[in-house]
Amino acid sequence: MNTENIKTAWRRLKNNKFYTAVNVLGLAVSLAAAMLIILWVQDERSFDKFHHDHERIYKVSSHLVGDGTKNVWLGSPSPVANLARENTNVEIASRITYDGNATLRNDSTHLKVSNMRILHADEEFFSLFNFPLRSGQVNTLFQQPKNAFLTQSTAIKLYGDENVIGEIFHFDDEQFTVVGIIEDFPQNSSIKANVILPLSYYAQRFTEYGGNGNWKTIDEDLGNYGFYTYMKLSPTASSSDVTNFVNSAFLKARNGAHFVDFSLDRLEDLHLISADGNKSALHVVQVFSIIAILLLAIGAINYVNLSTARSMESAKGIGIRKVIGASKKQLFFLFSTETVVIFFTAILLAVALVFLCVPAYNEISGKSLSFALGNMQVWLFISTAIVVTLLLAAIYPALQLSSFHAISALKGQLGNHFSNQTLRKALVVFQFSISITLIISTLIIGKQLQYIREINLGYDREHVFTVPLPYEAVQHIDAIHQELASVSAIQSTSLSEFYNLMDYGNATGDIEWSGKPASSNIIVARARIDEKFIPLMGLEFVEGNNLSGLPADSAAFVVNEELVKQMGLQAPYVGTEMSLHNIPGKIIGVLKNFNFKSLKEEVSPIVLWTHAYSSTLYVKTSANKTEEAIAAVAKVYEKYPSDYVFKYNFLDSQFDDLYKSDNRTGLLFNIFSGIAIFISVLGLFALTTYAAQIRIKEIGIRKVLGADVLGIVHLLSKDFILLVLIAITIACPVAWYLMNEWLSSFSYRTSISISLFVSGGVIAVLLAYVTIGLRAMQAALANPVNSLRDE
Amino acid sequence: MIKITNLQKFYRTEEVETVALNDLNIHVQEGEFVAVMGPSGCGKSTLLNIIGLLDDLDEGSYVFNNVEVAKFNERKRSDLRKHNIGFVFQSFNLIDELTVFENVELPLIYTNVPAAERKKRVEEVLEKVQIMHRRNHFPQQLSGGQQQRVAVARAVVNNPKLILADEPTGNLDSSNGNEVMNLLTELNEAGTTIVMVTHSEHDAKFSDRVIRMLDGQVIMETTTV
Ligand SMILES: Nc1ncnc2c1ncn2[C@@H]1O[C@H](COP(=O)(O)OP(=O)(O)OP(=O)(O)O)[C@@H](O)[C@H]1O
Ligand SMILES: [Mg+2]
Repeated sequence: MNTENIKTAWRRLKNNKFYTAVNVLGLAVSLAAAMLIILWVQDERSFDKFHHDHERIYKVSSHLVGDGTKNVWLGSPSPVANLARENTNVEIASRITYDGNATLRNDSTHLKVSNMRILHADEEFFSLFNFPLRSGQVNTLFQQPKNAFLTQSTAIKLYGDENVIGEIFHFDDEQFTVVGIIEDFPQNSSIKANVILPLSYYAQRFTEYGGNGNWKTIDEDLGNYGFYTYMKLSPTASSSDVTNFVNSAFLKARNGAHFVDFSLDRLEDLHLISADGNKSALHVVQVFSIIAILLLAIGAINYVNLSTARSMESAKGIGIRKVIGASKKQLFFLFSTETVVIFFTAILLAVALVFLCVPAYNEISGKSLSFALGNMQVWLFISTAIVVTLLLAAIYPALQLSSFHAISALKGQLGNHFSNQTLRKALVVFQFSISITLIISTLIIGKQLQYIREINLGYDREHVFTVPLPYEAVQHIDAIHQELASVSAIQSTSLSEFYNLMDYGNATGDIEWSGKPASSNIIVARARIDEKFIPLMGLEFVEGNNLSGLPADSAAFVVNEELVKQMGLQAPYVGTEMSLHNIPGKIIGVLKNFNFKSLKEEVSPIVLWTHAYSSTLYVKTSANKTEEAIAAVAKVYEKYPSDYVFKYNFLDSQFDDLYKSDNRTGLLFNIFSGIAIFISVLGLFALTTYAAQIRIKEIGIRKVLGADVLGIVHLLSKDFILLVLIAITIACPVAWYLMNEWLSSFSYRTSISISLFVSGGVIAVLLAYVTIGLRAMQAALANPVNSLRDE
Repeated sequence: MIKITNLQKFYRTEEVETVALNDLNIHVQEGEFVAVMGPSGCGKSTLLNIIGLLDDLDEGSYVFNNVEVAKFNERKRSDLRKHNIGFVFQSFNLIDELTVFENVELPLIYTNVPAAERKKRVEEVLEKVQIMHRRNHFPQQLSGGQQQRVAVARAVVNNPKLILADEPTGNLDSSNGNEVMNLLTELNEAGTTIVMVTHSEHDAKFSDRVIRMLDGQVIMETTTV
């Protein structure tokens, strides 16, 4: 590469500002978008991979027997870790459990910090996982039950400083000493907490509180699935052997009572493939990876199209240089320099764009991504893309150079002009097929998300909020109901076990009725409610009645249609005797099915009754009175002092939270589709400009001979519109197939109607027509004298 | 210097075969100034391109400086061309992105002349064609006559033994045309062989000898006085 080449390249680019801009912009935008997607994909794939030997770390999940993979508990009983340690292939086994919603108090300042997540870790925790300490030593945590580690940011929240070793804080009516500060848990860790306490504290408290039935220590308690068990297997171990080992050891410990089967899943896989086998997160990652590749392809196609289109223009320059004595090699380098300049500029611009967009991107994607210039994976991906683009873009000029005829080039002709044009057309079709597929997919995704938003869940979620009550308040629930009943902004209140009505997972197989087939393995959800719950939520009965609020309720069950169906009962159902957890009673009412789980799942059986502990207050208010209602509930809440802080949650926002990741994915998909379409249209715009330019003389002559503007617009656009139509026929089946796949992850899905495909096609044709039309119009309106004189 | 015997050149397209040059014989002595004339389509440009090794011939022999070059491959031809032959075209064929100076310098770059030497030679030749004051302009900023003078300068900067000119005054008015003709004459007097295609009897008078062609053959040769 010498200065003549750089100089020439620079001047050629400067003289063709429009092409340069389209090329650089198209490439930069597609590179930047692809880089952003790669960052996202990288992050999704990086979960729990920062531990040593992460590929050998497994987590135990519990599958209800007989239910296939559907009802999965992410936890397992605490002794499972002990059982696993008996196996020589288990190098380390560790168990932890969480306290979800703790309040910490700084005793000297009386500052309270709530919503803290406490992790109770056993002594193996830090040898299994890499969570680095900022200060202190791992073993000190386990020397005293009331020692604690805080994360850096928790320490700063509680004390305003991270040098707090030796400080005391209050939690659970006990005093704890800070003996170490750990780094905040990485965003891509599935294990996260604010505080780490030694498991010995939890164990001690468990025993003090009387244990769980006959099990008095956590090492005996085989019935609580609230622990998380992790283990590192030896490099040669087979995870299924260890699984079998753990299963039979547990079965033996439970004297043959077979409730669950454990599975061992690689921890690093669980973020994308959940324990129940749901791969939708993985599919999203795959789809986004494909979109990244498509975006690069679209950008590359623009480049290839424009550079091959322009090679006609370069032909004369090549011809002259050849006559003067340039060798093929010299010519090749001359034109490569131009390419290098374009790509170099595009990459710089792309990197700048990425840095610029990352904050907004994090906002949209809900991640905290950052781009480091040393991110080798990104560069590897990008350089592969560039090499492929260059090869594609170089093949044709290279062919031209070899079959090149200096004399015809001087006349502005190239030998393989035909094949060149065919390539360009094929690429435009490819590009538009992608764009149209994306347009149609965007429409369908949008329709599905709207469908979910508007679906009738079987109850009225508007103007209802929930408040988790502490034990101190639940004890006085009647007084609370009474007091709130007098508030005009509140229509009704109810206490229920539904901590989240849209995503409720308390299920059991412990249900009996006369005539239950031996083969039945019904898993039924259960929730305590009171007599006010059903009217408050507006659940509808198909048969029977609500609870009465009288003592007789203790032998009453309200069930849903799905349960009576699965039980195989015949109407009338009311009066049927059954028992749940050995508590006998009768069905008094059957509810129309309502959705108490994600819409990705079918409605499953549920029993509503009056047993067990419930602590979630449901409050129904009305439009414009929500503030008042919240204030009233807060006031009552404060009457019963506890460690907890008042907190409320509207059902509407719970609903949105549930589909947050779907909505985010949808939004990201829209954005990246938009970018893909933008780049395609940009390319089409440039190609039309080019076509108008090379036909400028023809247009002039036609006008002199009497052609009108419309005729000329038609002349210039008909080829391209034909290409877009071909692209539509390719895109429709592809989009149909892909969207069917995506929709199949929802149990409740919208229909794919023809009209969506028609709209997608119309949008594409309009986009193309406007793009082409604008340019064609300009060419058609130009004074023919100018274009003719030009020659 | 040039000895062409029994030259045949065809152009084949899908439907027709055109005989562009038919059994043509030509001799050009070193230092001669030859004009080629004839009606449009008689094969003048084709002949010039073959002499300039830009095009190959179908049959016959072509001896250039006592070497048979008819069967030379692209690489050898290119080598021979860049060291021995300069071209001037009717449509000046300057490179738009390069300045006057850079256009003239280009052949020297391709023959690997060192930079300092290049500068000296380009300036010399620009001086000679009286365009030195425009050395940093781009071709579009020059008049047709000026552009053609630059093209001539580019053709001679390598001191070629032979200059081939295809209607060099075709796009110029008579005064600009005369300037270019004077330049060519000067070069010829300094020893450069020139073969020029022209439609103009006036321009042909500058040459030593006129070759007249018809339908791909030489029909008459006249020596001018
Ligand atoms: N690339 C080509 N393909 C087919 N035929 C060609 C080609 N180039 C020239 N011809 C034909 O060869 C013949 C000679 O063409 P040539 O260009 O040599 O004529 P010319 O004498 O230079 O005419 P003019 O004075 O108009 O420039 C013509 O009949 C022309 O049609
Ligand atoms: Mg000619």
